[in-house]
Amino acid sequence: KPSVNRPPTPDEDDAPESFEKDEVTLREIINVKLVESGEKENLMELVRDRLVECGWKDEMRIVCREHVKKKGRKDVTVDELIRVITPKGRGRAVEQNPKLHCISCSLMVF
Amino acid sequence: MSGAEGNKSSHTELSSQVFLDLVDSVIADVASECHRVARLGLDRDLEVVEEELRLSVEARAKVADPSNNLETNTKFVVDIFGQTHPPVASEVFNCMNCGRQIVAGRFAPHLEKCMGKGRKARAKATRSTTAAQNRNSQRSPNPRYSPYANSVNENQLASRSPGVAGEDCTNGTVQENVKGG
Repeated sequence: KPSVNRPPTPDEDDAPESFEKDEVTLREIINVKLVESGEKENLMELVRDRLVECGWKDEMRIVCREHVKKKGRKDVTVDELIRVITPKGRGRAVEQNPKLHCISCSLMVF
Repeated sequence: MSGAEGNKSSHTELSSQVFLDLVDSVIADVASECHRVARLGLDRDLEVVEEELRLSVEARAKVADPSNNLETNTKFVVDIFGQTHPPVASEVFNCMNCGRQIVAGRFAPHLEKCMGKGRKARAKATRSTTAAQNRNSQRSPNPRYSPYANSVNENQLASRSPGVAGEDCTNGTVQENVKGG
């Protein structure tokens, strides 16, 4: 039983904007479903453990340290660090976990 | 989106997105953690590097600064215990070879003369030993310590025993001291 107000079902016409909107909406729906079912927590833990295991977290920490060394530790902000590691972080995460990002099975719940 | 293939690819696409969303959360966590460590100065290695950088910059500035009076420092350099040492050692002691009182800073040159590195000293030693040997015995250890022959001794060798090299100190016997048997 859905406990959240679902957004209205999009129309059948295939205008490009609505396609993207579909995707975003779908992601939101999935997110909500994941949280509700408790699956998100499990997935988060899985992903976290996996990223530590494969050395990804250490890599990211090194990148952060280098940036802090350059900028001086008193000036750094969290947003800055996020900006610095996001591109490499996403890339490396996918590289090192080619199977993990096919979480289709969980999505089959829908 | 229509057809089974469309669905599969969109599934993969979608799950990639979900995965990436999760990764973004982890990224935010890592960034937050690193930010905390940096701001609180908890990274000791970083501190050490910063301190060394600071000291080297300071030292460079000191060296480059012309107003610093550097001459006074070179003679009285302070070591790690805070002691200063004069450039020439001033302590006086007795030479173990000749018994004279020598200033420590001048001991090396003294010893050169005293023990016979120089031409005069060696000739002097040979002459005095020769005299002693003639008085006491025909065999005596060669007083020369240096492996290098000098012209005075070579002449002596040549005139007395042409065939003898006599350079090796450890042998002991030198024919030159024998005067016709």
